[in-house]
Amino acid sequence: MDFDVRPYNFTSATTSWLTLLGILAVVCLALPLVVLAGRGGVSGLVEFRRGLWSYLEDVFSLSFRRILALTSLTLKEAVRRKALLVFVLFAVLLMFAGWFMTDSNERAELQVSVHVTFLLTAISWLLLPALIFLSCWALPEDIRIRSLHTVVTKPARRMEIVIGRMAGLGVVVAILLGVMGLIGQFWLSRRIPENARSALQCRVPLFGELYFISSEGQPQETGLSVGDIWAYRSHIPGNSRARGVYVFRNVDESALTRNEKGEEELLLECRFEAFRTVKGSESSIVKGISAQYTLSVNPREEAFGMLAQSEATRPVADALREGQYNTAAAELKKLTERIRTAPGELRPADYFGLHFGMFVSGTVLDNRKDPGLGDLGKLFIDAALTGEGVTAALQRQEGGERVEIPYEAFAAKLDVVAAGLADRAAVLMETLARMEVPLPSFNVSEYHDLDETSTNLTRVPRRLRFVADYETLGRFLAAEIGKKNESGGVLADGVLKASLTEELVRDLKISQLNSERLVAVLGEQLTGGALAVDAGRLKVADGRSWYAFFDDLIRREQLVSEDTDGWMIEKDLIKDLAAQGYLRVEVACINDQMYLGMARPDLFVRKADQPFWVGYWKAMLSILLMLLLIIVLGVTVSCVVKGPVALLFTLTFFLVGQFFHDFMIRKLAGVEKGAGTVESAILIAQHRNPEVGMDVSETAMNVVRAADQGLDGVLRVFSMIVPDFAVFSRASMYVENRFDVPFRDVLLPSVVVFLGFLIPCILIAGALLKFRELEAK
Amino acid sequence: MSNAVIEIRNLSKIYRDFWGRKKVQAVKSLSMDVMKGEVFGLLGPNGSGKTTTMKMLLGLLFPTSGEMTILGKPAADVTKNERIGYLPEESYLYRFLNADETLDFYGRLFNMSAADRARRADELIEMVGLGKARRRQLKEYSKGMTRRIGLAQALINDPDLVLLDEPTSGLDPIGTREMKDLIIQLKAQGKTVVMCSHQLADVQDVCDRIAVLFQGELKVLGRVDELLELRNEMQMRTPALSEAAMADVRKVLEKHNVTNVEFSRPRADLEQLFLRTVRESGERPGRRFSTEEVAAGGRG
Ligand SMILES: Nc1ncnc2c1ncn2[C@@H]1O[C@H](COP(=O)(O)OP(=O)(O)OP(=O)(O)O)[C@@H](O)[C@H]1O
Ligand SMILES: [Mg+2]
Repeated sequence: MDFDVRPYNFTSATTSWLTLLGILAVVCLALPLVVLAGRGGVSGLVEFRRGLWSYLEDVFSLSFRRILALTSLTLKEAVRRKALLVFVLFAVLLMFAGWFMTDSNERAELQVSVHVTFLLTAISWLLLPALIFLSCWALPEDIRIRSLHTVVTKPARRMEIVIGRMAGLGVVVAILLGVMGLIGQFWLSRRIPENARSALQCRVPLFGELYFISSEGQPQETGLSVGDIWAYRSHIPGNSRARGVYVFRNVDESALTRNEKGEEELLLECRFEAFRTVKGSESSIVKGISAQYTLSVNPREEAFGMLAQSEATRPVADALREGQYNTAAAELKKLTERIRTAPGELRPADYFGLHFGMFVSGTVLDNRKDPGLGDLGKLFIDAALTGEGVTAALQRQEGGERVEIPYEAFAAKLDVVAAGLADRAAVLMETLARMEVPLPSFNVSEYHDLDETSTNLTRVPRRLRFVADYETLGRFLAAEIGKKNESGGVLADGVLKASLTEELVRDLKISQLNSERLVAVLGEQLTGGALAVDAGRLKVADGRSWYAFFDDLIRREQLVSEDTDGWMIEKDLIKDLAAQGYLRVEVACINDQMYLGMARPDLFVRKADQPFWVGYWKAMLSILLMLLLIIVLGVTVSCVVKGPVALLFTLTFFLVGQFFHDFMIRKLAGVEKGAGTVESAILIAQHRNPEVGMDVSETAMNVVRAADQGLDGVLRVFSMIVPDFAVFSRASMYVENRFDVPFRDVLLPSVVVFLGFLIPCILIAGALLKFRELEAK
Repeated sequence: MSNAVIEIRNLSKIYRDFWGRKKVQAVKSLSMDVMKGEVFGLLGPNGSGKTTTMKMLLGLLFPTSGEMTILGKPAADVTKNERIGYLPEESYLYRFLNADETLDFYGRLFNMSAADRARRADELIEMVGLGKARRRQLKEYSKGMTRRIGLAQALINDPDLVLLDEPTSGLDPIGTREMKDLIIQLKAQGKTVVMCSHQLADVQDVCDRIAVLFQGELKVLGRVDELLELRNEMQMRTPALSEAAMADVRKVLEKHNVTNVEFSRPRADLEQLFLRTVRESGERPGRRFSTEEVAAGGRG
């Protein structure tokens, strides 16, 4: 189980539900129509119409008060028939369970999850059989002893009887579950050993998206595979340029927590996995594996990273990512030259990478709507579309067609892009600002780790102090000095203010030494003529921007820090690094010859924890919904068949829904590999593998395939009418793993699935009971 | 037609098994009406289709063919139940409820207000004489008590039409008497009563009209007094006579050429009718007797 919330698509769920309901309605109407018409001709049709009419009348004249009467009847029955004895069983179970579960040497989290898992499982598996039994037996029993006869000869609509049954049993199970939940809560808070109670947590994760940057700097959907069977995690090699890049959305102040000192911080929690290529007593094994996070704002990577996909375009991409737009333009020119003179040297993959990368770059740029960049994005997209023509033509050529390949047109468009890049290099430099904040590296704690120093929880203070790299420092100084200068805070009487050093220390939160250095350099530049005074303000003499000015200084090493710490500056995590609620965390592996494995849910922002019991009761709610669905199904089925048969049906529904629903969906979607059912059976019988295929004649092959398609059809129908019971256990798994249960993606789907079955079940059950004779034989 | 409460036309019922194969024809082409305000008796030996007919009227079973209306509505229409009271053959009630709760529950199914329910429950419990047992669960009740509470629930809604399936079965003589009084009382209130019974004396006492079914066929239908009238015989009712008085009477009658005079205590004549109908029906199936035939039958 991963805690990767698959976002639940309500629109598609609703539309497919409505379609299904439509099909069901048609079937339910057509079947009796055909039967009645076949048996009685025109009078059959009249009968059908009358039946339908009276059914609809029933539906629209349901009485809440009668339903309530029937509900309380069911409730009384359950109480008087001693259904509440389940509690006794439960209490006994809990008393004895303690004997097997106390092992206080285990890690706290493990102890908690063992206890919680036991409790939730015990509750659902105690109630489940009791409820299947109650719901399947109640109506047939009522019919058998004919107490139902007396009820239906009152004005009670049969649909009301069905609803009353379901509601009554629902109330019963809600009460049972509520009480068990309370007992369970008490039990957990007493039973879990003292030292593990702190792990009764309800973590609220914020998951992001993950992609990888390879050692070559290429963005990729997956990292390396180290040959794991399930290949769930991808790996990045240590001590290389490779990164796992997590992008979190909606990171704002609500994502922060407060530590004991009341300072705001962002918690990053990981569950990475290490893979070692070295054996023996190498010290790194003892030390574990180290990882490092770098928080970054990196619009250039986002815009141009995809261009690094193909080898041919990588120089262009690298220059763009470094912000060297003129170099990039020149590299692009070189590339167009190659396309013109020797187009065959580039592989089709290069053309594809080029046009695809161009398209991504163009879209990203266009979406940013930066002032001054105008239609640069459009130029990229334009080139991309022409490039697509090249790719398409190449493909047709591959297929044996003779086609003209529009290399020249593509090259021309690329030239336009190159010219655009060179033209807007200055604006690009100002707008696509990269900032990287490396955090201290840490030892990754793995599940079997008992090392105290290793951790999987990183606390990132909101006020980040870090050593700025060239670009970040340049932009920082440009922005801060620019701002201060604008408000007239730099000069006094045409010279630098005497108190400037102190003010910079105070306002920019930089060290005394660095501030002195900065003031000294500004002074030098002023006297050297690179800076000028204009209307009481400083001004870069040759009209360049402040950033260009400082960048130049930094690169000429005129602003080297005299501090041992280097250029420490301060940034705000939310305002500066997650400006649009969008936080990028790059993960690197430090150790040589080691690999760090990660998957999307392996790193998350941990928001402020909820009390554990919040998640606990959410899981209870989910269990309740599951049990309610069982009731609904059981009662529905028991409207037509007798108790034991209904029981068998409901149980099958549950087991298939719980354990095979996912499989059915995947099989139908073609995710599950392998041949069809019949074909597989033959393959097994013939001891052959699917690649070789069956040893049968052509005709037989067709028959087998057709049979498999038929079976798939059956499977499809099944997958639609069998509820996905696994939905309901998802909440429990979150809680067992000390996570909060996300409302929209886990709880709401349970509610939706429940309602999705409730409505048609009531309608069908009502009809089944209405159109059957109440004779018990 | 206007004051027919129940109209049955060509009603047939075939019980089928799971596979749709015919098992029994319980009712064969039955046609009859029940008029408003009368007490109607359905008679017949065990298995003659009385209960089946009643269940079809109530919509519990669906007819194989034929038409029927009850209170002017089709049998399948639940709204007719607002004005109907039904006492099943055996009282099929919830055994875990007590008498009060039972009446309250059924009252709620009629959407009666709480006050109405309480008032009505008091009246009915008083009427059926269960005052002492009203808080005990039905599973502790004796057969007669169960019958009584069954009757009470049938009347909870003050129905216009009451269907009673063997109302006196399981009742003690006092209960039987009370039941009969009640039926007469219901009739006096202008209500229509349809009942099945094997207690012919009871039927004779309370019914205005009867129908006799045999193997699902209607054999006899008519007014009780007409059906029981024997045209070629005379009956004289006196207080019990001494031997001497009887001899005198015999002499007087001999003068008028009446020789085969019989002295006996009065008997329930209906029983004979019933027995004869059953016997003759066995010999001549598919035939219905006229009132004249019945009357002419004497006591052969
Ligand atoms: N559910 C059933 N399935 C099959 N046959 C049935 C069913 N119910 C009744 N029958 C048959 O239908 C016939 C009529 O039965 P019904 O119960 O109507 O008789 P009845 O006149 O009420 O008899 P009794 O005086 O014993 O109550 C009988 O032959 C009976 O066996
Ligand atoms: Mg009967």
